[in-house]
Amino acid sequence: MVAAKKHIPIVKKRTKRFMRHQSDRFKCLDSAWRKPKGIDNRVRRRFKGNLAMPSIGYGSNKKTRHMMPSGHKAFLVSNVKDVELLLMHNKTYAAEIAHNVSSRKRIDIIARAKQLGVKVTNAKAKVTTEV
Amino acid sequence: MTSQRPTVTIIGADGKAAGAEVLPKVFSAPIRPDIVKHVHTGMAKNKRQPYAVSEKAGHQTSAESWGTGRAVARIPRVSGGGTHRAGQAAFGNMCRSGRMFAPTKIWRKWHVKVNQGQKRFATASALAASAVAPLLMARGHQVATVPEVPLVVDSAAVAGEAVAKTAAALGLLKAVGAGPDVEKVKASKKLRAGKGKLRGRRHRQRRGPLVVYSTEADGKDLVKGFRNIPGVETCPVDALNLLQLAPGGHLGRFVIWTSAAIKQLDAIYESKKGFFLPSNVVAQADLSRLINSSEIQSVLRAPKGDARTKRGAVQKKNPLKNKQVQLRLNPYAAAFAKEKLGELKADEGKPKPVPAAFKEQLHEV
Amino acid sequence: MSNVSADLIWEVSRTYNSFLVKRKSGGAPQFSRDPLNLKNLHSRKFAGFANDKALGVIPNEKGGVQVISKKPASANKPASGLYTVTYGGNKTSRKTYKAVANQVAKNGYRPDLRQAAIARASAIRRSQRTPKPDPVKKPRGAAAKRAAAAKE
Repeated sequence: MVAAKKHIPIVKKRTKRFMRHQSDRFKCLDSAWRKPKGIDNRVRRRFKGNLAMPSIGYGSNKKTRHMMPSGHKAFLVSNVKDVELLLMHNKTYAAEIAHNVSSRKRIDIIARAKQLGVKVTNAKAKVTTEV
Repeated sequence: MTSQRPTVTIIGADGKAAGAEVLPKVFSAPIRPDIVKHVHTGMAKNKRQPYAVSEKAGHQTSAESWGTGRAVARIPRVSGGGTHRAGQAAFGNMCRSGRMFAPTKIWRKWHVKVNQGQKRFATASALAASAVAPLLMARGHQVATVPEVPLVVDSAAVAGEAVAKTAAALGLLKAVGAGPDVEKVKASKKLRAGKGKLRGRRHRQRRGPLVVYSTEADGKDLVKGFRNIPGVETCPVDALNLLQLAPGGHLGRFVIWTSAAIKQLDAIYESKKGFFLPSNVVAQADLSRLINSSEIQSVLRAPKGDARTKRGAVQKKNPLKNKQVQLRLNPYAAAFAKEKLGELKADEGKPKPVPAAFKEQLHEV
Repeated sequence: MSNVSADLIWEVSRTYNSFLVKRKSGGAPQFSRDPLNLKNLHSRKFAGFANDKALGVIPNEKGGVQVISKKPASANKPASGLYTVTYGGNKTSRKTYKAVANQVAKNGYRPDLRQAAIARASAIRRSQRTPKPDPVKKPRGAAAKRAAAAKE
C-alpha cells in the first residue's frame, strides 16, 4: 500500500450538518436541508442566533476536495479489472469495494490491490470474521 | 487533392486475402455525429405502436362537487350512500381511483418525419464511420483480430448455399476474425432491468457484426445461416438502414461486406435521384499534417523571438521573503546583508545638543 | 483516409466510448480501459485508440513488461496494426526503462509519452514482486495487552 501524495492540510470549514429549520420541533420534519422560502423566515433572513444556511463559502479547498483523511480519493470498484485502472493512480485514489461484491471476489480484489500498491478502504469488510 | 482512391482487401473463406477492390466513394463522406444522432432519434420513433390508458378510466362514476359550505374540498364526490365509496373524492389525478393527470392518448404524435436527404446524408456518414477502426473499437466492437476495416468477404464464400447453415456461417465469421465480437455478444446477454421484462423485452444484449450482402449476387440463403447467431444482423446492400448502421445513434458499427455488395455501392449511390454524396469541407482532415505540409510551411514567416521567451505575467513574489526578487529590485541588499548593516546598533552616547539657532527658529511665533 | 483524423475520432468518441469509466464519487474521475493508454486516463493525449501513434505497457505473463505500439501505416488493419516488444523479467529495471525510453522517444515516435511509459513500466515491475506480508498488529490499549499476555 502506497501512502498518498503529499498535500496541503485538509481543512473542513464546518463538520456539523446543516439542519432544516424547525426539524428540531417536529418529528415529522426530517433534518435533511431544505432552503426556507417564507417571507418572514428568520433563518432565511440570517438573524442572529439562528441556524446557519449552506453556502458556497463552506466549500473545501479545491486541492483537498473529496479527499479522505489519508489523502486519497475513493474510487468504487466491483472487480479486479477496476482495480487495475488505479495502477498509475495509487497515490491519489484508493479502491472502495462496492457493497454487492461477494467475499470470495473481495479476496481476489484485495490481493490484486496489494500487488499494485492500491489502498483498499474497506479491505476488512465481509472478509474478516469475528473471533 | 488528386490522391488515388484507396483500396480494400477482399478476404477469402480461409481468412486470407483474395484480391482487392476500390473503396466506394461513400466511405469518404464526412463523419457527422450530430446529423446521425438527430436523424436516428427521429427514425427510431417510427416503429412505435400507440398506447394509451382507457378513455373511461377514472370517469366511471357520477360524482358531483358538493359546492361550498360543507367544509370539504370542492372536488367532485361520489353520490349516494350505503357504501364507503359514497362521499369519496373522484375524477382528480390526486384522488384514489381517479384518472391520471393528462391521460395518454393514442393520437399522440408517435412518428417523426425525417427528410430523405437528411436520412441519406446520415446513412452515408454512418457508412464512412464504419470504415474507421478506432471508431469501431470506441463503440465496443471486438475487432482486434480483424485483418482490415472495412471487412470485405469474398462473395464466393457466401453465395448460394455456402453459408445457409448456421455452423458454416459461424465458421466463416471466425475465419475472417469476427469471432471475438460474436463471443462478446453471446456473453453479454443479461436480464433487463425494470418492467420491460414483462413487455416482450426480457433480455438485453450487445450488437454484433452486421452482414451486408447483395441480393442479386449472393442470394438470400445466407440470411438463414446468420439469423440464429446472437447479435449478428443481415441487411441487403440496397436497403441500408441507419438504425442498424448506427445503433443508438452511435457511429461505428462493425459491418462485414460481401465483395458483391461493396462493388454495388457506387452504383446504388449514383442511381439515387437528386442526391449527391456529401463532400468534406476540408479535403484533409488531419490538421497537423496540413500545418506541417511543405505548401504551408513554405509561405509561413519564421517564428519571432528566441526559442525560449520570457513569460509575460508571472506570479507576484514577495520581495521581503524571496531573496532573488529582492536583489532584482534592490541590488544594494546583498552588500547590506553581507556587512550586516541591519544588525548594527546606533552610535552610543547622548544625542548631540540641538544648536540654539535651530531652536529659536522653531519656536518663533 | 482523408476524411478522418485523430482529432475527429477523439471528438466523435470523447463523450462516450467503450473504454471510458466514469464514477460519480471522489470528484467524478474519468478513467479509460484502453490497453494503449499509459495512464488509464480519459484524455486526448493518452487515448490510444484515437491517436495515430500510441503506446501501451502491459505486464508480461512470465515477468517483465510488454510494450505495444501502433503502426501508423496500418491504422485500418487491427490484426496486424500492433507492434509488440517484450522486456523480460530477468532484465534489470534500469535496462528495461532505458530500453522502453529508447523505443518510445528516441526515433521520435511519441517523445511526449516517455515519462509516462517509464512510470508505467516501473509500476508494473513493482507489482510483479511478491508483496510484503502485513506487519503483525500490536495490541493497543490495556485490555488488549492483558488479553495478549494471557494467551501466551
